Amino acid sequence: MEDREKLEALQKSTPARIGVGRAGTRPLTHTMLQFRRDHAAAVDAVYGEVDESILQQLGLFTVETCYGNKETYLKRPDLGRIITDEGIAVICERCVQQPQIQIVVSDGLSADAITANILDVYPALLDSLRVNDLNPGTSFYVKGGRVACMDHIGEVLQPDALVLLIGERPGLVTAQSMSAYMCYKPRKGTIESDRNVISNIHPGGTPPLEAAAHIGTMLKRMLERQTSGTNFF
Amino acid sequence: MDELSFTSVGIDIGTSTTKLIVSRLRLGRVSGALHLPRYEIIERELHYASPIYSTPLLSQDEIDMDEVARILRHEYDHIGLSLSEVKSGAVIITGETATKTNARRVVHYLAERSGDFVVAAAGADLEGLLAGKGSGAEQRSTEFPGVVANVDIGGGTANVAYFREGKAIGTVTFHVGGRLIRLDEQGLVHSVSQHLQKWLLERRIPLAEGSKTTPDQLKSIASAMCGEMLDYLSKEAVDPSFRHLIAGSPPPGPLPEIDELMISGGISTLMADREVPESMAAIARYGDIGPLLASSLRQQADKWPFRIVTSGQTVQATVIGAGMQSVEISGSTVHIDPAVLPLRNLPVLHLEYTGIRPEDWRQAADEAMLEAAKYALPEAEAPCAIALSGAVIHSYSTLQMVAQALLDTFTGHFPDAKIMVVVCEHDMAKALGQALSIRCGKCLNIVCIDQIRVERGDYIDIGEPLPGFLVPVVIKTLAFS
Repeated sequence: MEDREKLEALQKSTPARIGVGRAGTRPLTHTMLQFRRDHAAAVDAVYGEVDESILQQLGLFTVETCYGNKETYLKRPDLGRIITDEGIAVICERCVQQPQIQIVVSDGLSADAITANILDVYPALLDSLRVNDLNPGTSFYVKGGRVACMDHIGEVLQPDALVLLIGERPGLVTAQSMSAYMCYKPRKGTIESDRNVISNIHPGGTPPLEAAAHIGTMLKRMLERQTSGTNFF
Repeated sequence: MDELSFTSVGIDIGTSTTKLIVSRLRLGRVSGALHLPRYEIIERELHYASPIYSTPLLSQDEIDMDEVARILRHEYDHIGLSLSEVKSGAVIITGETATKTNARRVVHYLAERSGDFVVAAAGADLEGLLAGKGSGAEQRSTEFPGVVANVDIGGGTANVAYFREGKAIGTVTFHVGGRLIRLDEQGLVHSVSQHLQKWLLERRIPLAEGSKTTPDQLKSIASAMCGEMLDYLSKEAVDPSFRHLIAGSPPPGPLPEIDELMISGGISTLMADREVPESMAAIARYGDIGPLLASSLRQQADKWPFRIVTSGQTVQATVIGAGMQSVEISGSTVHIDPAVLPLRNLPVLHLEYTGIRPEDWRQAADEAMLEAAKYALPEAEAPCAIALSGAVIHSYSTLQMVAQALLDTFTGHFPDAKIMVVVCEHDMAKALGQALSIRCGKCLNIVCIDQIRVERGDYIDIGEPLPGFLVPVVIKTLAFS
């Protein structure tokens, strides 16, 4: 095979910036600009907010964690795991208690990820629950959430299983990647290895609709086996 | 369940020989724990190869089905293989045997009695493809920047399959094989295949059943058959009479340029013998002209522009292809109703949707189904498999429109169908299957699988789920005919 063809085959196999050339010891202007653009998009994703109209469209109300502001959010992950007292009051008032499946959506580290994917993933997830004869409770949105906010919510609502759709830490390939964390009976004291995740959900990674369709199967299996996390496989 | 292996058999009932192989295929999870499950066949291991049996015939026109069944039973017993262990594989009737009056019945009968999901396969194109996979030509084409063609020459036919970058790009079949002339050591001709008779007649070569022949006459026949076949493959001009030796109709487009030619099949085994058969006794030692064809091929090999290599899997290429390479597996996130599997021999309806707007899907699906009505099986519970190719659909609303359009047109064209089968090229079957399933309730069983590429004119067999969520699939390609 010609060297050029080999290089093209390698470039096709990865989104990493390989074979981009150089000018002396530095990257080409084009490469440099591309890099800075992608980096800026990642920063924007962290500091951005989910469009309110999207949440309304899906009928999700909003509660906040104790994160305060984005600067604190980044420095104090622990605060993103606790819902504010006001938030808990709203949850208690508006949500079905002890649902079979609790769905929670959160911006996490990328509001863009939610904006880009949730309108497709959320209805597909509801379909997936329906096909698997699973009943969702009352879904809502958590602003400033970290993954382990699942435990606080689990403690309050006592669901059999909870699925959290949350924006991932953005990278240079995409700033729109979302994860679906799942846990059987998340409660205070649940540890990381009790959770399962489907990550990298975005049109260039794990296909969003297919991920949503598979979540129902995973949740159903969790309820059948009454466990999740590393015990699950 | 991170790894699982299953048994696959290949059975080849050829013009002169019948053989069986047993292989172990190992499935492994290739995706990480944070991703959707994705399994692939990570190893194909040849476990057992039977002795080579003479194909039992009742007469010139009929296969001795009972005897073939007895051979297989004997082989299964011999290696202690039970039918329920055999999870996939293929029975193929090849060469001139495929033209016997009971060929179709035999292949289906055996497929259904050889294991849980053993498929019936036939057709010169498929035979060539399986041989090309079994010989290693397909694999070779992934390592080598050019076109690798495999010629599998047996008793009745020479099946050529072309591969580039691991993909089949064409096939052609010739009536060139050892058993086309059967004779004894005295030079008495016992039979001449009818295809060859026409060629001999046009070339004014007097050779017929019951006549006496000479080593020189046979040598010139073998030399002309091989030479013209290689001329044809290298796109040189050939004698007009060569048309009689092309099986079926000649390929519609120009044949690809060959860079490397691999030879497999019974004749390739004989090519290892460097001695040129001179006497009638040496020529007719198998009762046919096989040894002469082999020595002609070997002598002439240098004259053509492509490099000629002998396959590592000579006589067994087709049966190895049938047993080890015929099965593929679907993606691991699919929507299936295991109760309706396996499904066999579904004709494929192909819908390429690149560039079709969501609102135009209904019309596109309608046209595809109208066309499919020509070859679908309207009486069957599953009349056809709808193959969708194009990029993954990422929009929920588009997917809903697509599901509705497919369902409406399918039930419109096939009102008696009980099972709707959809085969997506890319990873979207679970989402589409769920959308279909929610819409049709209990009226139809939905089988929606993905990561399988099929074309119009193919036939597909879908097996029972292996570890509970992915299915083995065999595609019987007729795309080149």
